[in-house]
Amino acid sequence: MPNPIKPEKSVITTCAYCGVGCGFKAETRGEKIVRMIPWKEGKANHGHSCIKGRFAYDYYNAPDRVLTPLIRASIDDPWKAVSWQEAFAYAASEFKRIQAKFGVKSIGAVSSSRCTNEEIFLTQKLARAVLGNNNIDNCARICHSPTQFGLTQTIGAGAASQHFDSILQADVIMIVGANPTEGHPVFGSMMKRRIREGAKLIVIDPRKTETVESAHCRADVHLAIRPGTNVAILDSIAHVIVREKLYNEAFVRARCEVAEFDNWKALVGDDKYAPEVIGPIANVDPADIRRAARLYAGGPNSTIYYGLGVTEHSQGSTGVMCLGNLGLSCGMLGREGVGVNPLRGQGNVQGGSCLGSWPHVFSGYRFVTDQATRSSFEAEWGVTLDAEPGLRLPNMLDAAVAGSFKGMYIMGEDPVQSDPNQHHVIAAMKNMECVVLHDLFLNETSKYAHVFFPGSSSLEKDGTFTNAERRVSRVRKVIEPLAGLQDWEITVKFMNALGYELSYDNPGEVLDEIARLSPNYSGMSFALIDQIGSAQWPCNKDAPQGTEVLHREKFPRANGLGTFMLTEYVPTAERTSDRFPLLLTTGRILTQYNVGTQTRRTPNSLWHPEDVLEINEQDATARGLQDGDWVQLASRFGQIQLRARISKRVNPGVVYTTFHHAKSKANAVTSDLSDWATNCPEYKVTAVDVVRIRAPAETESFEAARLEATE
Amino acid sequence: MWHEVRGLKDDVDFGTPPRDGPPVSLEIDGQRVTVPAGSSVMLAAASAGLAIPKLCATDMLEAFGSCRVCLIEIEGRNGFPASCTTPVAEGMKVKTRSEALTRLRKGVLGLYLSDFPRNEIPGGWSEFHETLKAEGVTSHPYAEGGANHFDAKVDDSNPYFLFDPTKCIVCSRCVRACAEVQGTFALTIEGRGFESKVVASQNQPFLQSECVSCGACVQACPSHALVEKSLFDGEYKHA
Repeated sequence: MPNPIKPEKSVITTCAYCGVGCGFKAETRGEKIVRMIPWKEGKANHGHSCIKGRFAYDYYNAPDRVLTPLIRASIDDPWKAVSWQEAFAYAASEFKRIQAKFGVKSIGAVSSSRCTNEEIFLTQKLARAVLGNNNIDNCARICHSPTQFGLTQTIGAGAASQHFDSILQADVIMIVGANPTEGHPVFGSMMKRRIREGAKLIVIDPRKTETVESAHCRADVHLAIRPGTNVAILDSIAHVIVREKLYNEAFVRARCEVAEFDNWKALVGDDKYAPEVIGPIANVDPADIRRAARLYAGGPNSTIYYGLGVTEHSQGSTGVMCLGNLGLSCGMLGREGVGVNPLRGQGNVQGGSCLGSWPHVFSGYRFVTDQATRSSFEAEWGVTLDAEPGLRLPNMLDAAVAGSFKGMYIMGEDPVQSDPNQHHVIAAMKNMECVVLHDLFLNETSKYAHVFFPGSSSLEKDGTFTNAERRVSRVRKVIEPLAGLQDWEITVKFMNALGYELSYDNPGEVLDEIARLSPNYSGMSFALIDQIGSAQWPCNKDAPQGTEVLHREKFPRANGLGTFMLTEYVPTAERTSDRFPLLLTTGRILTQYNVGTQTRRTPNSLWHPEDVLEINEQDATARGLQDGDWVQLASRFGQIQLRARISKRVNPGVVYTTFHHAKSKANAVTSDLSDWATNCPEYKVTAVDVVRIRAPAETESFEAARLEATE
Repeated sequence: MWHEVRGLKDDVDFGTPPRDGPPVSLEIDGQRVTVPAGSSVMLAAASAGLAIPKLCATDMLEAFGSCRVCLIEIEGRNGFPASCTTPVAEGMKVKTRSEALTRLRKGVLGLYLSDFPRNEIPGGWSEFHETLKAEGVTSHPYAEGGANHFDAKVDDSNPYFLFDPTKCIVCSRCVRACAEVQGTFALTIEGRGFESKVVASQNQPFLQSECVSCGACVQACPSHALVEKSLFDGEYKHA
């Protein structure tokens, strides 16, 4: 081949990997995708990309992609390939049987942040309007539910206050519990660009991540805290701001509830949060806490970006509130260059949050208990809706173990691999009578499923994603769905089979329905996005093309003022002991994505073929470990085997691993503790010990399970 | 900065990044053009639909001025400045086409062509190929058998893209994309003059280098020297 073959067609769409939501031109020859080129007009990425979106797209074509619906009466039976019609009829009859026998509330649904807004909305509609209960949750439960709660409490909106470009106006960038150059690489590149121009960088992370130090980018302050001490360290930073009077009094007086500010000052100003007290608790130099506080308060434009290192803790919501408090106290909200911003892990976590995939709220975070809101949905959907909030995902699993919860529709998730305390999840799955799994591939959860709907990848369907900066962009069908139906069509047909009549010509009509029922989305439509490329919510009569920066004049709370939450530090119950002397924390790396369903099916695995355990030299020596040795990692919850990597990235006392590979089962060891407010699991702190082992014990590998399943 | 990453158009390559600044008016080939101060003449021409041929410039990267294809004439100034590195000035009068410019451009393009694998010209659709076509350059006056890079080895270590140095015109776009856009600084130009070549890290295969496979270099390459493997059916071989 002398020259590359020119692609024939291209379609502009949105990457389905992380929360950056890059615009891409998907180029095809025939029905084959031959290249993904970053779209220069994409407002989240401006023509840049990372290895995942740019190259790791071929998973859609993987040989083990399931292309026909499957059913079985028992999880011990082999799968039987059936027609779509038969699969819908079987799943519907099982759900109806279960509801007749165990009650309306014995069934629930879970949607995923990898689904489009339209699919997420339809799934909660299925639970509410068709199953007749509010047992609907989504995977943001296990990542960013504390963001929703914590930010709403302080600044009134559980979403990023800024657009990504805002960082190019920042003078001080504070990254808390996030590793953007690996987890959100395109945003990471923009951040590094600003740091090369002179912005200061503060990183709060137990691990010396690539963000802390890389070519032409080095953190001015790195607080390598002991896992689980976020709230302590943030309160201590607040302490310095209060005691040294670094706060922005004018902003607080004009924009915040002053009485609450005074209460907060009294709390964090207490001696117990002095850097000299907190330093030893968090294992950092008190002088660094002071430097961080002075840098942040000094601005002039300081901005906060944070990730799951803040939320996935027993005090996850408190940690988020600390960040809201900091932003308010220093007046770092309401203009470009500042703000408090969650970095969302998956492509549509924000959409999952916005669109009512929660047991207690409809789209726009309006409570199911509110009669007026419920009436508007009842009028649109033509049914009476349950006024009682439903079960959260962890509660559904608990109820399944207890025997009162018997069926579940799981769309695009793999809870057995991704949820905490795997043994408990498996026990719950085994206790259910009908688990309907809607996914691209058989996975860990499918081992316990009775019906499998073969879904469509994001390259095979239409819809929209809402990225981490509230930007709604179009997902456009590049090729025909391999299994015949787009995901939204599957959900609609399943609703039909359950006896609910509805039809849409295209998902644009679902977005129209979302717009009619959700104030922040009221101006959104396929037509608008086609015309201007993308739009950030709120998008409505007052902001017909969307809103880049929130909170410019007031906060979306009843009185328009921001407020301060009291954020007392309460150490997690998960503590080290003689038996489990190390703290395990988890994270992700550049080339793999989440539980790896997509990226493990691409050559990305060349870079990261397995999960390894990072351990400091001191801890390794004490255990007679050498680089590459197999180790057993044990916690109170379980044990796994993986290889050790001796690393300076983690401090003594801390070990780190990723959860990208099913076979390493990292979540078999994570604890069952969770955020006090939202049940978001405490993935980031587990007391463990590490022991050298001779060779890996036989573990049931993903590949073996897959072969077994397809045989 | 804020402006520079915004306002890029997918179907137009302005050649240099957009700038913020008060409006400046100039005349290009007799046409009045107004752009923000700090913009290059190349950007001004492109935004008026008078695209100037170029190889080392692209609007996601700062101007570099190395390929010497984008030369222009400016009334009242000597020589033939590169339009990518020349900022606009009020009242400036620019000519993008003249006999002298055509001769210079063809000369430069002929030099590039003389060290590009001859059999890889037909059927090519890279920016380099398109520029040759647009400028009507189909041959060069140099004898066969002179020094060249035709035997340079292809680096196909990365699973997603390959680097064929025989097609590299050493414009540095890949090196600059890695630095400016991605911020990884994995690529560099090693050597001087004729010996100059693009290398990853300490002259390592891409897969073993610091490269994070973001694809910015591949996207920036104007000659398909860095190119996605997925665009080929079967093995990569020279014609």
